[in-house]
Amino acid sequence: MAEAAVNIKELEKNQEWWRAAELKRSKRLDYLRKAVWKKGAVGGLYAPGIKVDMERAGLFTDGYFANLNDPGMVRHAKAVANVLDNITIFITDQAQLVGYVGSLPHTISWLIEGGALLNEEVYNEPGIAPEPEAESLKKIAAMMDRWNGHTVQDKFIPYVLSFAAEEGVKLLSGAVGWGLPLSISGYNGKDYEYILTGKRGFEDIIEDIDRRQNDMTEKARKKAGPEYLHVGLRMMNWEGMKIVLQAVIRYANRYARLAKIVAENYETNPKCREELLRIAETCERVPAKPQRNLQESLQFDHFLQVVERFESGGGAWPSRPDYYHGPWYDKDVNIDKRLTKEEALDLVGEFMIRAHEVGAFFPRWTREGLQGITGTWVWTLGGVKQDGTDACNDMTIAMLQAARLVRVSNPTFAFRWHPQVKDEVMRECFECIRQGLGYPSMRNDPVLITNAMHWHGHPIEEARTWVHQACMSPCPTTKNGFQPMRMASATANMAKVVEYALFNGYDKVVNMQMGPQTGDARNFKSFDELYNAWAEQLKWLMNLLTMSVNFGRAMSPEMCPRSFLSAISERSVESGLDAVSPEGDRGNSWITAFTWVENIDSLAAVKKLVFDDKKYTMDQLITALDTNWEGYEEMRLDFVKNAPKWGNDDDYVDDIMLKCLREAAQFSKVIKDPSGNNWPILPENVSGNIHYANIVRALPNGRRLGDALYDGGISPGPGLDKKGPTAVLKSCGKINHITDGRAFLLNQRLSPTQLSGEKGYQLWRSYMHTWADLGLDHIQFNVIDDATLRSAQREPEKYQEVIVRVAGYSAHFVDISRKTQDNIIQRTVQGIA
Amino acid sequence: MPLCKECKKFFPVKEDPNKGDCVQRVVDPRQAYYKAKPVGANMDASSCSSFEKI
Repeated sequence: MAEAAVNIKELEKNQEWWRAAELKRSKRLDYLRKAVWKKGAVGGLYAPGIKVDMERAGLFTDGYFANLNDPGMVRHAKAVANVLDNITIFITDQAQLVGYVGSLPHTISWLIEGGALLNEEVYNEPGIAPEPEAESLKKIAAMMDRWNGHTVQDKFIPYVLSFAAEEGVKLLSGAVGWGLPLSISGYNGKDYEYILTGKRGFEDIIEDIDRRQNDMTEKARKKAGPEYLHVGLRMMNWEGMKIVLQAVIRYANRYARLAKIVAENYETNPKCREELLRIAETCERVPAKPQRNLQESLQFDHFLQVVERFESGGGAWPSRPDYYHGPWYDKDVNIDKRLTKEEALDLVGEFMIRAHEVGAFFPRWTREGLQGITGTWVWTLGGVKQDGTDACNDMTIAMLQAARLVRVSNPTFAFRWHPQVKDEVMRECFECIRQGLGYPSMRNDPVLITNAMHWHGHPIEEARTWVHQACMSPCPTTKNGFQPMRMASATANMAKVVEYALFNGYDKVVNMQMGPQTGDARNFKSFDELYNAWAEQLKWLMNLLTMSVNFGRAMSPEMCPRSFLSAISERSVESGLDAVSPEGDRGNSWITAFTWVENIDSLAAVKKLVFDDKKYTMDQLITALDTNWEGYEEMRLDFVKNAPKWGNDDDYVDDIMLKCLREAAQFSKVIKDPSGNNWPILPENVSGNIHYANIVRALPNGRRLGDALYDGGISPGPGLDKKGPTAVLKSCGKINHITDGRAFLLNQRLSPTQLSGEKGYQLWRSYMHTWADLGLDHIQFNVIDDATLRSAQREPEKYQEVIVRVAGYSAHFVDISRKTQDNIIQRTVQGIA
Repeated sequence: MPLCKECKKFFPVKEDPNKGDCVQRVVDPRQAYYKAKPVGANMDASSCSSFEKI
């Protein structure tokens, strides 16, 4: 024991945090952490041993086709129920929480009903079919044949072709957008105020729906009128909700039964037996009835997340665990003292591990965009309560402490900073950052609450409930404020905007006329001409993406009904409408703007070197770009070194940033989302900076086709921020983080040596004061030195738990591509003055 | 013909003994766990490699 303590001290002194964590965490957490099969694709490929889950696909298929004559929402609900009733379930040794999206720990879920685009990849992906492979492939092919003509994609395409065939092809080219506008996969916001505050369980909701159905039947039969035109639709939606809710209760009871069987027939250790019986008691209780303690609360939440993924894909994990589970933590640990802090920490750590193990089969383009992880699961901590007081609690601290012990790369945290946050909590955040987790990202709560009110009109109490709907965008968790579905296809590869402005809207990578023809840039005589072409291309792209999402959202209740999501949403239970229906949704849409800053540095470079200094002509520039700068290296270096670059507190280029953002902001109010609300942009990258490297051509900022793009939404280019961290903050602080867009991602890399000890904390605190004073809404850090990252490249097996912040998410360093690894190493390490 | 209900791993449902769970212990390269799959008591187990007569 004493030796272990010495080792931990030594490892911490050497900043080998990942090794220290292995020694510090409990035996249970160590076992559970190491038990997880790695589900994120490594460089686009799944790890050996990972298999696609055939059971969910088969059971859903059987359930769907056995009920073909039912209305869509009932058929879908019955298919989900068939999965929940029959899929193999398992309980891992030492676990206290249960529930998984596949039939076995090494499987990843497969939403076969999505469409051929995904299913063909399942069939063709080497090694992913379970053994015996030939037999599995036969089954996969047979299931695919059965679905032919019935998938969401099959049903959706004729509608798209009816009015926007050309736009559909442009979207599918992969050059400008990301994802498909279908609610089969995306980011499911939730009405946590309804479902997770301990006021109701599923039995209560079923009772409520019964009452509403009776009431509606009685009224509709008594008096004819327009208010009852859709009575049948509502009755069937409610029916679908009840079918799924009842199935989820049975699913939880199956776990209770398994836990009891194991406890009574196999387990000999009295403590383990007791824990199994507690699992049984928990699963008999939730989600049928409201939770009574921390374990039940966490289990309730986990069942919500798992079942959501049986119903549809969950690409994100909007969540606020300290806020919703904090009262139960307080009750168990501080009031009733039924749990010690250590026991609670075990539960909290396992709660993260249960999320970390969740995995789904993604098409290759998604895997490349989400290297090393299985979705952008950013859990929200801190912030304020609806009355504006500090919401941090002991669970906030427990979550931050547990994160340092289990060191998972997904979920990650984002912390809602506000002036009332206590020093004790800030220190916990700092420890996570200092220990190289790359999270929590820090969010400016007052700014983002005001921002939510500005862009979407959320009332202040509603805005204050916000969680991250995906990596960055805040979304409330209330009846009318929550957004049930955000489709990833409103994600723009923005660097194409400047590329198209320079090439008359033509894309030489996909060989198509993509954007509008805004003129031959060789003939542009002023910067304004170029800028106007840029603005036209921008508006075209914003409109293309949002039009597709609006359409997809409106069609979703028919294409891909969401009975479960509806059943846990107050407005759907009340109205009988599918949760994804825009009716009742205040609207909280945003356009993710990947590769944004390239526009700014490129426009600034042209303005400076072509139009101001007249060092080059537009003709020379277009020729150089067209040849990918080949034969023009000297000129290229001039554009890299001698043109102003964003992030150096230089008004020349910073003013262009503001002009461009404000152009987008203005148009964000012209285009409207399905609820009639605005569509602000949100510059960030996930890992689009690598994914799009071979899709974006040479640009005037000096990049060549294939070079990594900049890594953050408003981060300066790697190595181009030469004036230090304060200059970066000052540039970013010129942006109005309330009215210029929905949020702005800023990556910064700090030195671990500088951040060591109490002095390091004080330096970081004052840096954060500057950040807050300048009104930035976001910042996230990598605190790890080059030497460690280089060692991890050489000997990955020794650095399995080293985490880095990629862009909008964290990943284990060994799980990302070499190109992304090198890109992270190239980022400037800022010394805080 | 061996039936599921004749196997040590079969656990009948109290309310309906014709239904039950096949409960098995699995040790994979990363973790050990118990798994359960619903089966019928009278299902043919002749091709089941985990069948263990009571």
